[in-house]
Amino acid sequence: MTDGKDAEKHEFREESESLWRIAFAPAIWAIHFVVCYAWVSLVCVKFGGDPAVMRVSLLAISAVALAAIAWLGWRAFRQWNVRDTGDFTNPEGEAEDRHEFLGHAAFLLAIISAIGVIYVSMPLIIIEGCR
Amino acid sequence: MSDTSRFDGPSSADPELEGIYPPTAEMIAEPMDPELSRAQAERLSRAWATPTGWRYWSSVNNTEVGVWYTLTAFCFMLLAGLMALLIRLQLAVPQNDLVSADLFNQLFTMHGSAMMFLFAVPIFESVSILILPSLVGARDMPFPRLSAFGYWCFLIGGIFVIGSIFFNVAPKAGWFMYPPLATEDPGPGSDIWLLGLSFIEVASIAAAVELIVGALKCRPPGMRVNIMPLYAWYVLVVGGMILFAFPPLIAGDLLFELERSFDWPFFDPTRGGDPLLWQHLFWIFGHPEVYIIFLPSIAIAAMIVPTVAQRPIVGYSWIVLSAVGTGFISFGLWVHHMFTTGLPNISLGFFSAASEAVVIPTGIQLFAFVATLMVGRVKLNLPMLWIAGGLAIFTAGGLTGVMLAIAPFDFQAHDTYFVVAHLHYTLFGGMVFPIIAGVYYYMPLISKKLMSKRLGRWSFWLIFSGFNITFLPMHLSGLLGMPRRVFTYPGGLGWDIWNLVSTCGAFVIAAGFAIFMFDLLTHGRRSALTPRNPWGGGTLEWTHDVPEANWGVRSIPYITSRYPLWDDPNLVERMDAGRYYLGDSAEETRETIVTSVIDARPLYIQPITGPTWITLVAAAFTGGAFIFPTFHMYWPAGICGVLAICTIITWLWRDTARPPKTHMADVGLGLRLPTYASGSRSAGWWAMWITMLADSTAFASLIFSVFYYWTAHPDFPPAGSAHPELMLVALAGICVALAWGATFGAREVNTHGRPGLARALLGGGALLSLAAASFMTLSVTDLSPKTHAYPAILSAITIWMGVHSALGALMQLYCLAGSTFGKLTPRYDADLRNVTLYWHFHALAALIAAATLGLVPLMLT
Amino acid sequence: MTARRWKSKAGTRAGASCALLLLAACSGRQSALDPAGEDAETLALMFTVMVTAAAILWLCLNGLFFYVTRVSPRRMSRKLANGLVIGGGILMPLVLIGALLAWGLSILPDHDQPGDGLVIRVQGEQWWWRVAYETPEGDVISANEIRMPVGERVSFVLDSHRVIHSFWIPSLGGKMDMFPGRQTNLSLRADEAGIYRGQCAEFCGASHAWMAFEVEAMEPDAFDAWLAAEAAPAGPPDGGAEAIGRQIFAREGCGGCHEIRGTEFQGQVGPDLTHVGSRHSLGAGRLGARLEDFSTWIAHTDDLKPGVEMPPFDHLPQEELTALAAYLKGLQ
Repeated sequence: MTDGKDAEKHEFREESESLWRIAFAPAIWAIHFVVCYAWVSLVCVKFGGDPAVMRVSLLAISAVALAAIAWLGWRAFRQWNVRDTGDFTNPEGEAEDRHEFLGHAAFLLAIISAIGVIYVSMPLIIIEGCR
Repeated sequence: MSDTSRFDGPSSADPELEGIYPPTAEMIAEPMDPELSRAQAERLSRAWATPTGWRYWSSVNNTEVGVWYTLTAFCFMLLAGLMALLIRLQLAVPQNDLVSADLFNQLFTMHGSAMMFLFAVPIFESVSILILPSLVGARDMPFPRLSAFGYWCFLIGGIFVIGSIFFNVAPKAGWFMYPPLATEDPGPGSDIWLLGLSFIEVASIAAAVELIVGALKCRPPGMRVNIMPLYAWYVLVVGGMILFAFPPLIAGDLLFELERSFDWPFFDPTRGGDPLLWQHLFWIFGHPEVYIIFLPSIAIAAMIVPTVAQRPIVGYSWIVLSAVGTGFISFGLWVHHMFTTGLPNISLGFFSAASEAVVIPTGIQLFAFVATLMVGRVKLNLPMLWIAGGLAIFTAGGLTGVMLAIAPFDFQAHDTYFVVAHLHYTLFGGMVFPIIAGVYYYMPLISKKLMSKRLGRWSFWLIFSGFNITFLPMHLSGLLGMPRRVFTYPGGLGWDIWNLVSTCGAFVIAAGFAIFMFDLLTHGRRSALTPRNPWGGGTLEWTHDVPEANWGVRSIPYITSRYPLWDDPNLVERMDAGRYYLGDSAEETRETIVTSVIDARPLYIQPITGPTWITLVAAAFTGGAFIFPTFHMYWPAGICGVLAICTIITWLWRDTARPPKTHMADVGLGLRLPTYASGSRSAGWWAMWITMLADSTAFASLIFSVFYYWTAHPDFPPAGSAHPELMLVALAGICVALAWGATFGAREVNTHGRPGLARALLGGGALLSLAAASFMTLSVTDLSPKTHAYPAILSAITIWMGVHSALGALMQLYCLAGSTFGKLTPRYDADLRNVTLYWHFHALAALIAAATLGLVPLMLT
Repeated sequence: MTARRWKSKAGTRAGASCALLLLAACSGRQSALDPAGEDAETLALMFTVMVTAAAILWLCLNGLFFYVTRVSPRRMSRKLANGLVIGGGILMPLVLIGALLAWGLSILPDHDQPGDGLVIRVQGEQWWWRVAYETPEGDVISANEIRMPVGERVSFVLDSHRVIHSFWIPSLGGKMDMFPGRQTNLSLRADEAGIYRGQCAEFCGASHAWMAFEVEAMEPDAFDAWLAAEAAPAGPPDGGAEAIGRQIFAREGCGGCHEIRGTEFQGQVGPDLTHVGSRHSLGAGRLGARLEDFSTWIAHTDDLKPGVEMPPFDHLPQEELTALAAYLKGLQ
C-alpha cells in the first residue's frame, strides 16, 4: 500500500460523506425564498417603509445566495471529478463512484437552485412597490 | 446523514463487526451444501410462516399488510370514483335536481378528501411497504408492527370518514375546509373531517418514518447510495416531504378543532382570528402533497422504463437531482392556491416564480425517460402502454400548470373548471396511470401471476379515451366562466354541451375501471404461475420466489451494481442456495440486517417482530380517542386515549430493544455481527430522529401562527390583554432544561456503569417534566382563550408543550422501569438513547415556547 | 333577460390561432374568451399565446416518445440522449419559462392598479351581493347588480359578511376573493357597452351555485343618469295593484329585512329593493326580472336557492303574489 492509496481511501471513507450535503444548495434557495417572503410581508403589510430599499436589499441577498450556490456547485463539480475520470455515470458499487456520484448530484442541484434563485429574484426587478 | 451523530457520544455497546467484509469473489462462488441449504430453508420458512385461519389477520408481514393496505386504498378510490359519477350525473344538464345542493356539496367534498387522503397518499405508502423490501433485498420493513398499526388506523379512520356520507353527515365545506364556512358548519361533518383525517395523517407519518428508515438502513450489504434503485431515492424524498408537509396541517387541524369544540377563535375575524392563516397552513401541506402523490408514481415509471429499454436508466444522477430538487421547490409554491387573496403583488411574484421553477426538475425526469428509451432496444409491454398514456396526459396537465402558475392568468382561471381539468390531468396522468402500470408490472411479485394483456389493453383505451372526453372539455367550460363546486348551473351560457360530454366520458372511465378491477380480482383463477422475471428486469425484486415464500429473500445478497440481475448472472442461483447473508435462522426467529446509511456496511442483526393482535387493539383504542370527540364524547375519548397509550407501552416493552441472548451472531460468508445496537447505529434511533423532525415542524407551525397574526394584524396582541405569567413561564423553562439535563446525565452515567444513579436521575427528571407541564399550564390560567386569537394561540402552544412534557416524563419513567427490571442495562441502552434524543428536541422546543410565551408579548406590544 | 351580445374584434384576434377562433365561437357573456375589458383582453391574448406554445411542446414531446418506442425502437446515440436531457430538460424550459414569467410578472400589478375615480364597494353575503357606489353626496346603495361606465377604470373595494366569496366578472378581468374582516381591492375597465354576468367563484355554502350578478357597462352619460336615478328614493306606487302590493309588503313584514328608501321599510338583513324593478335579474342572478319571476321567487325561495334565509311565501294566494310582484317591479 502506498501513501497515495491511503490518502485516497481517506478521501472516500464513509464518515466524510453526508447525504445532507447534496441538499445544501436547495437549502440556500429555501432560505433565500423565506427571507424574501418574510421581508416583503414585514415591509408591505406590517411596518411600511421604502419598497425601493427593500427591493435593492433583497437583490443584494439574492446575489449573496447565488455566490454561495456557485461556490457549493464548484466544490461539488470538483468532487464529481469528471474531467479526470471521464466517468459521467458513476455506476459502480465502489467508494470512489459513490463519492463522485454525490458530487454530481450536488452539482446538478446547485444548478437547479441557482435557477430557482434567479427566478425568485425576477419579481424584485419587475414589480415596483408593494401594491 | 452520516452515521456518526452529533448528539451521541461513543457507545459502550458498539463492537465492530467480526470477520470478513466485503466478501471475496471466491467466497461467493463457493457452492452450498444442498442438504444444509434445504435445512436452512425449512427453518427460515417456519420462522416466517404466515398465520392461517382467523389468525391470518394478526399478520404483520409487509407482503400481507401491503396487500391489505393497497386493496383498501383501491376500495376507497372506487367509492370516491362512484361519488364522482354522481357529481357528473348531476351536472350533465343545467338545473338538474338529481341530488340536492347539500348532498352535492358532501359528494364533492368527500370525493376530493377521499381521493387525496384515503387513496393518493396511502397508495404510495402501501405500495412502498409492499415492494420496497424486495427492491432492496430486505426480509421485511424495519418495523412491521408499525406498518400493521398504520394499516389498522387507516382502515378504521377511512371507514369512519367515508362512511359519514351514508348517514348524510359528511363534511360539506370542500376538501380544503376553508373557515369561516367550515368552522361555522353546524353538523358534525367538519369534525369528522378534522379528527378522522388527522388520525390518518398520524398513521401516514408513521409509515413515512418507517419507509425512510427502510430505505436508509435496510439496504443489502454493499448497496451504496449511488447504486440503490431509483424507487428507494423517491421513497426517501417523498418520505422526507411527508415529514415536513403533513405537520403544518396537523397543527392547523388542532387549532381548527379547538375552535370547533371550545370556541377558541383562531380563524374568526371578529375576535382577532384570521381565515387566511388556515389557508396558509393548509396549502403549505397541500402543495407538497401534490408532489408527494406524483413523485412515487414517477418512481414506478423509473423502474419500468429501464426494463422496457433493456438498459440502465440514462441520467441516474439527473433523476436523483430532479427528485430532490422537486422536493425542495414544492415547498415554495403554496401561495399559488391563494393568488386571488389580495396578498402584495411582489409576494405573489415569488410564488409565481417558484411555481415555474419547479417545472424544470419535473421536466428533466421526463426527458431522462425519453433518453433511456432512445439509447435502449425497446421491448414494449403492457405496463409501458400505461406509462406512455400517463405521460401524454401528465404533460398536458403540466403545461396547463405552467399557465396557471402565471398569477394574472390564474386570476381568470382560478376556481373554475379549467383548474378542475388541470388537476385531473396532472393527477390522472402523473399518478393513476403510473399506479395502474405498477399494478400490471408488479402483479407477478404479489399474486405470482400475470394479468390479462387483452383486458389490460381494453381497460387502457377505455380509461384513456374516457379521461380525455371527460376532462378536455372542462378546460373550455372553465374559460367560458363556469366556476368549480357549483351543484348546478343555468343553461344558455355555453356550458351545457361540454358538461354533457364530460358526463358521458366519466362513464367510459368507469367502464375501463370495471374491466381493470375484474381482471385484478379474477386473474388469479384464470392464469398460470408466471416465470420469475417475466419482464426481464434488472433489479433485485425479480429474485422473488415463485411460488410464494414468506421470507422475502432466501439470503440477503451482497450488491455491487445498479442492475445486479443484468450484471451478475449467478446472483439468483446463489441467493436461492442461501450463499449470501442470513441464509439461516438458527433460532427460527425473524431477523434482518441493518446497514449503514451511505455505504450499506452491515452493522447489526435486527430482530423482526412477528404476528400479533396488539397492533389492531392499539389502533382501535387510538381510533376511539380520535372518533369519540367528533360526537363531543370526551370521557370515552380520554379513556380510549389512556388505553391506547397502555397498549402501545405493553407492545414496546414486550418486543422492542430486549437485551439479546448472545452478543454476536454468525450471518454467513464469514461475518459475525452484533445482535443489538443503540444510538445512531440502530434503526430505532433513526426512527425517533425522523419522527421528531415531523413533530418539530408541527410545533414550528404553531410558532409561525403567532408571528403570522402579528404581521397581518396591527392590533396583535390587542391592547390591554392579559399576558402569560412571566415568572411561571421562566420556571417552566428551567424545569424543562433540568429535566433534559437529568435525562442526558442518566444516559451518561448509565453508560459508565452506574445504573443506580441513572435511575435516580430519570425519576427526578420525570418529576421535573411534570412540574414544567404544570408551570406552563398555570402561566396561562389568566388568559381567556375564547375572547381573542392572542390568548387562544398562546394557550394552544401551552397545550402542545404540556402534552410533550408529559410524554417526556412517560418516556423517562419507561426507561426507569426498564433499568429496574433489567430491560435496559449499561450495555443495552437503546431505549435511553432514543429517549435522550426525544429530549434534545423537546428541550429546544420548550425553550422556544417559553421565549414565545414570556418574551414575545413584551417585545410585540 | 338580456339578449346575447355579439361583437367582433378582428384586431386583437388577428394573430389568434385557429383553436381560439373555435373557442371564441362558443363564448358567452360570462366567458374569459370573449373579453370586453382591458384586463380580460390581455389575459385572453396571453392564453392564446400559451395554449399555442403548449400544444406545440406537447406534440413534440409525445411525438418523440412515440417515435422512440414505436417507430424506431433501435438504439440511438448516447450523445443525442444526453443532449436531449440537457437541452430539453434545462435549457429550453429555462428560456421559455423565463420569458413567460417576465411577461406574467409585468402585467401582474395591473389587476389592482388605481382606478379613474369611481369606487364601488361590494360585500359578499350568503348568497347575494351588497353594492355601494361612493359619490360625493354619500353612498348609493344597491344590490346584486353592478353598473359601470365604459372606458373608465373602476375600483372595487371588496369584503364579506360571514364567509369567503370571490368576485368575478370573466368578460372584464380576473377575480378577487372577499373576506370577512379584511378588505381586498380590484380594478376593472369595461371597453364595450353590454351586459355581462359575474359569479361567485369561491365555494361559500349550499347555494354557492346561485350567487351571481349582472353587470351592465354603460356609456358614461347614461351611467351618470342612471346613478342619479339610483340615488333617488323610491317613487310612490303607481296604480291599484301596486298599492295593494305595497300593503302586502308591509303586512308580511318584508320591510323587516329589506330597505326601500323613501318608505318606512328600513330592514338591513336582505338586499336593498329601492330600485329592484330596474334590475336585470332576481335572487342574485337566479331568475330573470319579468313580473312572473318576482312572484315565482317570492313564493319559492327555498326551492330556487337551497339554504336561503328568506322564507318562501307560498302561503300567499296567487293574486297577492301578483300584486306584490307588481309593486316591486314598479320600483324602477
